[in-house]
Amino acid sequence: MASPQTLATAEHLPKRGCDTTPGPPRQLPRQRAGTTPQMRGRYPDYDVLAAAAHWDAKTRRAVFERVACVPPIRFFDEQQERTLRVFCDVVMGQDSEPRIPVLEMVDTKLHAGRLDGFRHHDMPPDPQTWRQVAANLDRSARERGCTGGFADAGSEIQHEIVEGFSKGRLDWDLPVDKAWGVVMRGVLSAFYSHPWAWNEIGFGGPAYPRGYARLGAGQREHWESPPSFEVDPVGDVRERGLE
Amino acid sequence: MRERLRVALKGSSRPRGNDSAFLLDPRSRAVPGRESMRRYRPDDAVDMLIVGAGAGGATLAQRLARSGWRVLVLEAGPFWDPDEDWVSDEAGSHHLYWTEERVIGGKDPVELGKNNSGRGVGGSMIHYAGFTPRFHPSDFDVRSRDGVAADWPIGYEDLKPHYERLERELPVAGELWPWGDPHGYPHAPHPVAGGALRAMAGARKLGIEMRVGPVGITNGSFGNRPHCIYRGFCLQGCKVGAKASPLVTHIPDALAHGVEVRADCMVTRVQSDESGRCTGVTYFHDGQERFQAAQAVTVAGYSIETPRLLLHSAGGRFPGGLGNQAGLLGRSIMVQGAPQVAGRFPEEMRMYKAPPPEISSEQFYETDPARGFLRGFSIQTVGPLPIGWAEHVLADGHWGQALREYMRDYNHWYAIGVLSELLPRAENRVTLAQETDRHGMPVARLDYTQCENDRANIAYAKRTLREILEAAGAQDILTIDRYAHLVGGCPMSHTPQTGVVDSDHKVWGVPNLFVCDGSVMPTQSAANPALTIMALASRLAQRLDDKRIDPGRGRGLLREDAAA
Ligand SMILES: Cc1cc2nc3c(=O)[nH]c(=O)nc-3n(C[C@H](O)[C@H](O)[C@H](O)COP(=O)(O)OP(=O)(O)OC[C@H]3O[C@@H](n4cnc5c(N)ncnc54)[C@H](O)[C@@H]3O)c2cc1C
Ligand code: SF4
Repeated sequence: MASPQTLATAEHLPKRGCDTTPGPPRQLPRQRAGTTPQMRGRYPDYDVLAAAAHWDAKTRRAVFERVACVPPIRFFDEQQERTLRVFCDVVMGQDSEPRIPVLEMVDTKLHAGRLDGFRHHDMPPDPQTWRQVAANLDRSARERGCTGGFADAGSEIQHEIVEGFSKGRLDWDLPVDKAWGVVMRGVLSAFYSHPWAWNEIGFGGPAYPRGYARLGAGQREHWESPPSFEVDPVGDVRERGLE
Repeated sequence: MRERLRVALKGSSRPRGNDSAFLLDPRSRAVPGRESMRRYRPDDAVDMLIVGAGAGGATLAQRLARSGWRVLVLEAGPFWDPDEDWVSDEAGSHHLYWTEERVIGGKDPVELGKNNSGRGVGGSMIHYAGFTPRFHPSDFDVRSRDGVAADWPIGYEDLKPHYERLERELPVAGELWPWGDPHGYPHAPHPVAGGALRAMAGARKLGIEMRVGPVGITNGSFGNRPHCIYRGFCLQGCKVGAKASPLVTHIPDALAHGVEVRADCMVTRVQSDESGRCTGVTYFHDGQERFQAAQAVTVAGYSIETPRLLLHSAGGRFPGGLGNQAGLLGRSIMVQGAPQVAGRFPEEMRMYKAPPPEISSEQFYETDPARGFLRGFSIQTVGPLPIGWAEHVLADGHWGQALREYMRDYNHWYAIGVLSELLPRAENRVTLAQETDRHGMPVARLDYTQCENDRANIAYAKRTLREILEAAGAQDILTIDRYAHLVGGCPMSHTPQTGVVDSDHKVWGVPNLFVCDGSVMPTQSAANPALTIMALASRLAQRLDDKRIDPGRGRGLLREDAAA
């Protein structure tokens, strides 16, 4: 995928023709500081949690709780859990440990009855939508010959179903495009609220009370980290015997 | 001369008639005076009861209290203590939004929740971005000029002195403003980040001028409000106190002048008697229903909750709801088309730094027949944080590994957006849905469908954004379609047949009921609404205090009458 040259020309980006087939992105270095999902990322020496001493106490508690407390599944039943766990992995490209516990975070929100503030008139309430999506994913898998449901389908079929879901092209018992919006809203806000994801993308994280002083293009605060590709990731990984 | 002196002093001058910034505690963000706040008994008919402590409600309360009115504000949400209640975190700020159920429909449904109204003392301005432009003079007579939408019963000149006063109270920082009615700002423009400089350069190549501001964010200290620290979390509530919201700009002064702000009180009905006057409101606090008497009531609950409450207050002489004799209550709700386009640059832009509102252009604001549609749009910046950025990437059609790749590239992107003025249409409306909330009150349903002019405006605006980013050297582009800024639903009008309130915000047919929030706007404009909502409130307070509004027969609305 990315190399020092492509990073300047942006050729590693999907719309610029890079390979986005399932599987781990090649040539991304392993994370050295802190944790990222799947331990790869563009900022191998950056750990946002290392700056936690500079955050206000309330924010620190909220963020650390996300890392430390992974609650059990309480809202979904066993079959829904099996199906949706795989679904969350596929839509977020989480193919190995460590994983951000997306499903647990979604489940917690639904269990607590926290709502997003709106519902399409032709849609069930969000919690019900999630359950129906699980059942429909299984049904779509069975229609493609996988009797065990979505979780047991091969990766190709899973991707085909998710692609159809994302384009609103499946024949389900609820408006498919709107259901995609509901579940992805939940998935994305879980994943990108997690500090491991911030490490992966090099986000500065909470910034109160310290703030930022260096706002210019290409400028960094002293605690922010350069992207990895100022180091050659392939050589770096080989050199350090990580693969 | 006075003006020159003021500019020389920049933000250090104290605004007239509002000490809020000076009453704040420099060591803590909690609003002082809450414990010692005045309290009214339930049967004590206050001079003015205001529903909602947001942009409109809080400003009106502060102004009236300054002139000696006995004012009580009932607010559905909490009385925020920014130190304790807010975090510097996207997902952790969910409680700032109105997240109770609402139903949406129509051909172009408007998603609510976090991209919409707020709940709590300070209203939606707690999590608004902070852009504070004025409307243009042309906004007030769109029908006369272009033959569409509506004319306001008031004009720009009616609001101008209030704009000027509020710009000093917030205070607003920005460059000299060349568009609409040209004007300057009390605080100097903020420094802008790398991405905004690139976008400005790209725009300049196309002959589009962008300027820094205008934002309601201190640049330099202002009373006990500190300087902005450029941390970029404006949409999560400003823990610093640099960004203007009624919580820091009007509530402290209101409390100091005898206003009671009763938080966690959800009003479910405005009560009226056989004569057609309102007598007070019913509300829920701690799960219990209560009544509060009042001489006059102002509803300032945002463009969804205000029509919902007035519709739900039907009964007696008002079978269709208060102010609904012409059948227009809840109609002509407007949003702005607010697509965002992001460009990828070779250098790191780190768009999470600096306040999301940085630069803007109003060059496309007015009608230009050559563009093929009526009215226009403004261009602004948005600065999405990671969750917002993920939604942007998803909307462009990416998931799985492709989404992760774009996300890992976050620091190389910069996003700009537009606010397209969409036209009012009667079928875009708030109604009461079948289901009820936890108080047994029917929830609001919002139906929304665009017209051809709207689609043409948004498409043109999106093309312009893309051209700016391409001219700036963007290597890749991602687009998201969205809406912003909901107003209307109780339009101001010349006659009772054409709207819900008159030019003094008085509900047609109810002598002592007012509406004072974004819902009174007959047209949307291409500007962000908060400053104009505050200016309308400021003007209403002046009209009431100058006794230029006839309180109707029976019990008096005016202070002297109440005391008698
Ligand atoms: C993400 C986002 C960004 C924005 N950015 C900008 C911007 O940059 N510039 C700008 O000008 N505008 C912006 N806005 C819009 C702006 O915040 C609102 O238009 C404005 O605050 C609306 O003012 P209002 O007085 O109508 O209502 P609000 O400020 O929403 O106040 C209404 C208050 O009434 C309370 N309430 C409602 N119903 C009841 C009831 N029944 N009983 C008791 N209390 C009730 C609510 O809890 C709320 O506190 C933004 C909005 C959002 C969501
Ligand atoms: S960027 Fe400035 S105004 Fe925005 S939240 Fe931070 S300190 Fe407040």
